[in-house]
Amino acid sequence: MTRYVMVADLRRCVGCQTCTAACKETNATPPGVQWRRVLDMEAGEYPDVRRVFVPTGCQHCDQPPCMEVCPSTATKKRADGIVTIDYDLCIGCAYCAISCPYEARYKVDAAEFAYGAAPIGSERARLAEQKIGVATKCTFCVGRIDAGIKAGKVPGIDPEATPACVNSCLSGALRFGDADDPRHPVSRLIAENKWFRMHEDEGTGPGFYYLWDGEAP
Amino acid sequence: MRRQEGKSNMASATTTESRSVPTYCYNCVSGPDLLTVTVEDGVATAVAPNHAGAGIHPAHGRPCVKAYGLVQKTYNPHRILTPMKRTNPRKGRDEDPGFVAISWDEALDAVAAKLNDIQVRGKLNDQGMPRVAATFGHGGTPASYMGTFPAFLASWGPIDFSFGSGQGVKCVHSEHLYGEYWHRAFTVCADTVHTNFVVSFGTNVEVSGGPCAVRRHADARIRGAKRVQIEPHLSPTGACSAEWVPIKPKTDPAFMFAMLHVMLHEASRQSLDLDFLRDRTASPYLIAPDGYYLRDPETAKPLVWDSVSGGPVPFDAVGAVPLLEGGVTVAAAVSHGPDGEVTRHEAVAATTAFTALIEGMRGYSPDWAADICDVPAATIRRVALEFLDNACVGQTMEIDGKVLPFRPVAITLGKTVNNGWGAYECCWARTVLATLVGALEVPGGTLGTTVRLNRPHDNRLASVKPGEDGFMTASMNATGKGKWADKPKGRNAHTTLIPIVGDSSWAQALGPTHLAWMFLKEAPGEWAEPEPPDIWFAYRTNPAISFWDTDQMAANMAKMPFIVAFAYTMDETNHMADILLPEATDLESTQLIRVGGTKFVEQHWDHQGFVLRQKVVEPEGEARDFTWITTELCRRTGLLEKYNTAINRGVALVPLKGEGFDFTLAPDQVHGVDEIWDAVCKAATAGVTGGETVRDLEWMKQNGFFVVPFTRNDWYLTPTMVEKGLRYELPYQERLMRVGEELRRRLHEQGIHWWDSQLEEYQGIPHWHDVPGRWVRAVEAAGAKAEDFPFWGITTKTMPYTTGNNAGIPLMHEVAQNLRGHGSVVINAKTAHTLGIAQGDWVEVSSVVGTTRGRAALVQGCRPDTVVIPGQFQHWKTPFAKELNFPSLNSVSQMSLELTDATGSGADVVRVALRRVDSPHRGDEA
Repeated sequence: MTRYVMVADLRRCVGCQTCTAACKETNATPPGVQWRRVLDMEAGEYPDVRRVFVPTGCQHCDQPPCMEVCPSTATKKRADGIVTIDYDLCIGCAYCAISCPYEARYKVDAAEFAYGAAPIGSERARLAEQKIGVATKCTFCVGRIDAGIKAGKVPGIDPEATPACVNSCLSGALRFGDADDPRHPVSRLIAENKWFRMHEDEGTGPGFYYLWDGEAP
Repeated sequence: MRRQEGKSNMASATTTESRSVPTYCYNCVSGPDLLTVTVEDGVATAVAPNHAGAGIHPAHGRPCVKAYGLVQKTYNPHRILTPMKRTNPRKGRDEDPGFVAISWDEALDAVAAKLNDIQVRGKLNDQGMPRVAATFGHGGTPASYMGTFPAFLASWGPIDFSFGSGQGVKCVHSEHLYGEYWHRAFTVCADTVHTNFVVSFGTNVEVSGGPCAVRRHADARIRGAKRVQIEPHLSPTGACSAEWVPIKPKTDPAFMFAMLHVMLHEASRQSLDLDFLRDRTASPYLIAPDGYYLRDPETAKPLVWDSVSGGPVPFDAVGAVPLLEGGVTVAAAVSHGPDGEVTRHEAVAATTAFTALIEGMRGYSPDWAADICDVPAATIRRVALEFLDNACVGQTMEIDGKVLPFRPVAITLGKTVNNGWGAYECCWARTVLATLVGALEVPGGTLGTTVRLNRPHDNRLASVKPGEDGFMTASMNATGKGKWADKPKGRNAHTTLIPIVGDSSWAQALGPTHLAWMFLKEAPGEWAEPEPPDIWFAYRTNPAISFWDTDQMAANMAKMPFIVAFAYTMDETNHMADILLPEATDLESTQLIRVGGTKFVEQHWDHQGFVLRQKVVEPEGEARDFTWITTELCRRTGLLEKYNTAINRGVALVPLKGEGFDFTLAPDQVHGVDEIWDAVCKAATAGVTGGETVRDLEWMKQNGFFVVPFTRNDWYLTPTMVEKGLRYELPYQERLMRVGEELRRRLHEQGIHWWDSQLEEYQGIPHWHDVPGRWVRAVEAAGAKAEDFPFWGITTKTMPYTTGNNAGIPLMHEVAQNLRGHGSVVINAKTAHTLGIAQGDWVEVSSVVGTTRGRAALVQGCRPDTVVIPGQFQHWKTPFAKELNFPSLNSVSQMSLELTDATGSGADVVRVALRRVDSPHRGDEA
């Protein structure tokens, strides 16, 4: 079997938001929509304070709450673990956005642009009307993965088959790959390091592993 | 056909052509970094890494977040896309410039007419100042976007570069000057690849170090390296460190002095690298009672005490084993004081420089520093001992087949620590701490990565040349009688006031660049008020926002009679311009630059070569390639031949003629942009391969970069010092003492006493002075009560904005909103509670020079006595940015002589008051 997962090494992440920006450009998301983003969190009280950066987004859960509540069956889960949305089926009810404990889903009701009412050249070139009025979220760059595999590339190893956020990550904090393949670097990272998964107690089975030496932030 | 998410728009039915184009980003000095741009049907749509750089570029071809803003930068609807001229002769913030569009011919003719008139009248004005001035932005990076413009500057002759846009304040100024003086280190970093323990005084390397630093520090953390971050506010770098020590602003020298005290007075002497101190530094040099080196009467060489013969010998005596520590009596010797004064000594008691260091640091115990720094003595002591324990004195490692000392400890200094009062002491202490354990310029230790005051710029090892007294050469401005520049030759008086900055091509722009602006308003009485330049060129710079006391800046700028701005959008500086020239920006124009080797910050690679910026997409509107603009300007001013000759000579990057190749351009002809860069590409690749490989512009367009291996041995200076038999000019500063005394005499001879405080900085062994107290006293000097301004105001950076001129790019604003404090005033939560300030409240930060307002961001990771204003905002003209209503420390920071140190540097620190208010500034939009 194949189970694609994301690994975020919080010891590496510096909160630079390069992944956020790379995702936005690669997926042409409108202003305010961030399928990938990095939280800036603080714990403790002065002077004993910890500040930690936590990349987040759709966790591509084993048991996606968003899929459970989707009345139109637009949200599905592939055999490789990637949770998808069929924009033609989505009715834009946003139940999924409410049910997602990771606040990973977005919905915009009208085209919005960086500089106001009119699109700039790059926005005009990539205007995606199918994403208006429907739920959207991180896709793990599934189109890139599928095309890459077709071309004989390995997700998480070859950039051509790897999500844009992972490709862009300066510190090497974000890694991606098949957790069911014991030889894949993500499997080794999970096996050899202490990790947690966000809101795991909710039984979602998130496909997003956070490497961290301390307590879950 | 059913639509599926994740289907790339690149493959959509409407796309007929999609390609990936390699180029570079050098928007901040931590670059250049590689990238690619996706171009669909001739439109740039996305930035992505250049994965061909994996294994070559230290961050594997990945650019930082700023590069992703280049697409919006290109298509920004607020761009100036045609040349413009001002129609309102009155200048000022409140004046409408009345810009109207004009043709390129009209614009270039107008600029050429001014230049031609100057050529007739003389390039220097009656005061001896250049009639042409130029200001370029951050860290020299505009040179990587201005094509062949440097060849115009070289062809022209005298140009005043003294009007700064933040130099001395927004850089790491003291490190530039002293770092380069002591170890050819214009920028300094840890050898992160090998180090195990870093003490970082406010070095926000995870934000401003660029992709190379971010990747290296992440790798270092995973392999167990430890970093202690010492800073008032918990930055992202502090967040990624093993420990955060919240020190009181501007007390860093006291912390470092205490570290020196621990290592010299509490630790075992044998734990230090005594061999390094004896053989590679001036530690054994003998010091006379007058503070100058004791010298051999015959050779004038500094003396050391030979432990073998039991007598004084010149420092370079063969076979001598110099005494490192202690006092001796020398029968006969001389010392060289200021102005060539020679003092003869007989039976003179002397100590070694190392002993002077020990005695100098005796009083600075951790207990002494604890109160000053507001850091427990135990913490200071532990950090010092950890530094020592991790130094691995005696160990070696093999680098590219060469066995070198392995000293995996480093101390790094951030902005503000490295600027203004106290910065000299910090730079000195940092470098001396490295020498105590032999960790200077060796694997794992403290490294320089580039030179700018010495040449050649692209090879700092080659800049090591033997000078006086066993040290490297130091190109200081003369201070001797009859040699000193008694009249400033530039408007910031760098040759007159700042000996250590020298007078090389970069020197003037490193001098006290705020003085040029200040003197436009009010010059010191002893000097004539300088006339503004007849023409001021400005490019990628916005001093009206990026300097201090911004209201004063804007008013002074309005005095410039003719400003030519290479303009991207309207902004606060362009607002004052007479001619706006829209240059084809990052993704629209062509240039070849160097990459790899060792460059700024942590850009030291295992490769070196060249990277091309190419015309990824056609320029918007009538924007033109900078090289075309320059060529036209030269043609219209009769400088074409000189300009082409300068390009042939290498001013555009490399000489076009070398051994086995000749791609020189005909000097008397106009050459096209591609023709020029084709020749540069060929010459560059031929030059770096000994003529074996020649790659033309077309090849570079396809491949993006060309590199050859660069040995890691060349990251380190010490092997070159050993090879040349040279010593680091540490710990004692005899030369600086002499220079300072000469400068004092020259200034006093002219009746100038307003630089006396700065002259106190010229010390053999630095001592503590009340550094933070200078800012408190500045409040009182302005006629206010110190207690009315009870907080420290400081600033910090975020990666989307650091030095990137990104304020008008919405994508940067959007992603930066994920970071705490973006566009806000960061306040300790408990302090805020005391003042009745809640999260998101509007607050006003005020100083003796102004006020700024922003939303409160309450955090725990900030000292209770400190407020932090990230970035540089408070725009009033720049589209998009002016709508943000963000505060700026620059608006409240004092620009004054009293807060200027001896290097001409000030710091982003100001005493402020803080209060809750109901709204943003009156007159501003909510």
